[in-house]
Parts: sequence; C-alpha cells; structure tokens
Amino acid sequence: MATNETTFHLPDLGEGLVEATVLEWLVRPGERVERNGPLVEVETTKSAAEIPSPHAGVVARLHAEEGEAVAVGAPLVTFEVEEEAAGIVGTVPAEEAPKRRRVRLTPPEDE
Amino acid sequence: MTRHTLQAEVPLRYAPPAPDAAGVPVLLVHGFGSDYELNWERTGWTRALADLPVFGCDLRGHGGSGKPHDPAAYTPGAFVGDLVALLDALDIECADVVGYSLGARLAWELAVQRPQRVRRAVLAGFGPRDAFAGTDLDDLEADGSPFGQVYRTAAALPGGDPEALAACARGQAAHPFSVEPAPAGIPTLLLAGERDELAEGMEDLAQAVGATALRAPGRDHATAVAARRLKNAAADFLAAEAGAPSRL
Repeated sequence: MATNETTFHLPDLGEGLVEATVLEWLVRPGERVERNGPLVEVETTKSAAEIPSPHAGVVARLHAEEGEAVAVGAPLVTFEVEEEAAGIVGTVPAEEAPKRRRVRLTPPEDE
Repeated sequence: MTRHTLQAEVPLRYAPPAPDAAGVPVLLVHGFGSDYELNWERTGWTRALADLPVFGCDLRGHGGSGKPHDPAAYTPGAFVGDLVALLDALDIECADVVGYSLGARLAWELAVQRPQRVRRAVLAGFGPRDAFAGTDLDDLEADGSPFGQVYRTAAALPGGDPEALAACARGQAAHPFSVEPAPAGIPTLLLAGERDELAEGMEDLAQAVGATALRAPGRDHATAVAARRLKNAAADFLAAEAGAPSRL
C-alpha cells in the first residue's frame, strides 16, 4: 500500500503555555503505533501530560531529544502512514468500514 | 468527557464509569491543586486503564466542585464522606482506588474508615512523612518547602481558587497522616518518582504495611504522574484479580 509521511506538531496544551519539555518518548523510530496509542510524555511549567498518537503508522523520525523544550506548533514526530488508513484506527479492511457504518450500528459480532 | 454534578454537602463534579466497561470499578482520586482531568485524563491514566470502569470526581476545593473557604471543610473525614457519597450515588459497593499525592492519602483514609468499600489500593506520589513539614501555612506565597511549590503551581492554574486551596492545606495539616491505623487486608501498591520529595520514606511505609513499592527513574512529584512505568504497574496490579469477588 502506498505510504506517505506526515508530521505531527506539538499541540496547544492549554493554560496559555508556549512550550513543553519532552520527558520520555514512548515510541522509537521504526516502531508501529496505533491511533490514540501513547506517544510521548511532556512536562510544562504547570503539569505533566501524555500525548497520544493522532495517527496509526510507523514512526519515521522524532524531532526532539528527551529533556529538550519544544515550542507549540513545532515538529514533534514524523510518521509514515498508509494513505488509505490515515486517520482510521488500525486494520479495518477498507471495503468493510463504510458498509458497516451505513447499514447498522450494532457491533460486528451480531452480524 | 462525560461530567455530572452530585448535589452532596458540597457539589461534586464527577466522571462516571463508562457504561460498557466490565470489572471492578476503579475510583481515581486526584492530588492537591489538580482535578480529575489534569491528574488522570491528560496524563494518560484513563487511557492506560481504559479496559476498566474508571471514575472519579473533582475533590472539594478543586476543579468544577464546590470550593468552601473554611479549613474545617477540608478534614480527611470530610473528603472521605464525599468519596463515600460518590460510591453510594453510583451504586458501587466496592471499588479499587487509585490516588495521587493528597488523593493517595485520602485513598488510605477511605480504606481505613470504610474497608468494605475498597478491594485494592494504589497510592502514588505519597509517603509517610508529613507533607507540610517546614511549610509556613500563613505565607504560602513565599514558602520554600516542597509543599509551597506545589501550592503556588496549583494556585496559578486557570480556575484555581487560592483561598480554597490554602484552606484545604490548613485543613489537611491540622490532621497529620499516621501510619496507624493502617488499612487491614487490602492489597496495596505504592508508586512514586525516584526524586519525589513528598514520597520520601515510601519504601518504609511499604514495609510497614506489607505493600509493594515501585519508583519511576528520574521523575519528581510533578512529572511522575505521567510516567508510563507507573501506569502500567497500576494496570497490572488492578487487573491481577479483576472481576474476582472481593476477598474481604
């Protein structure tokens, strides 16, 4: 399947903060990550937080070292994502997903 | 995230368990100056425990709950009353309880006062030392003790009510933690950052009560709350007998 790269930038963590410091990466380059899976722990002057992955894909590059401050909006991590799966959780076959969504709301076990 | 308000003695904003989650409910009790969202959701705890029916409230004086300004409203007994009211309102007979910092102290108190309502306990960012040792409660703005720093960070958060937080600190300080009586027959896990000054002596406490203790390398009181290592240890500890009936 065709892949393409997409870069995730440090989101606005609220509280009027302009940067966060990377505490610990929970993924490494080459590793596969699921959407909403744990990605990185960061610290701001006010709190600590875990940022989940916005994509399912393979980690291509991390843009900051542990202990390094990252500005809000700066690149955090680059993923290789499968084009058709971008933004969709995991491994649902492409043909099945829309059908289920259109036809019924019950879980697949009921089919 | 779903939020409701319990009209208790002090109104409590709470997050109920997901209706489709199975197993022993897990009550999450946040730390001083934090709230349910900051302590448990933004740190990834609710993700790490997503298979379990987690729930909890903003403690009085915090988040979206009522914020009395009288120190007498912040005794450990008053907090335990709120937690019991929440369990009752949700029809939860017995829960696992996970607390961070002040929340760990309150989880301990809940387990001592209402042992039949607690199956297992995870106490994080917490030790047997007096959290207010060396703290000048009359001048928290300038206080140089570890707690003074925690107070100023909390008071500066959006929605933080410095007067309520100061009252909360005084109410707690008037009732210092004591290792005796300890919760009886409740399996307990203690967790903290390696550099957490407020969790000094955690290993002694673990030994005294027969609990397991685990540290997250390099973390202090503020950063250990997000440590995956601690979340995973808690998830394993709670899943060990998930769904099994209480042994009490």
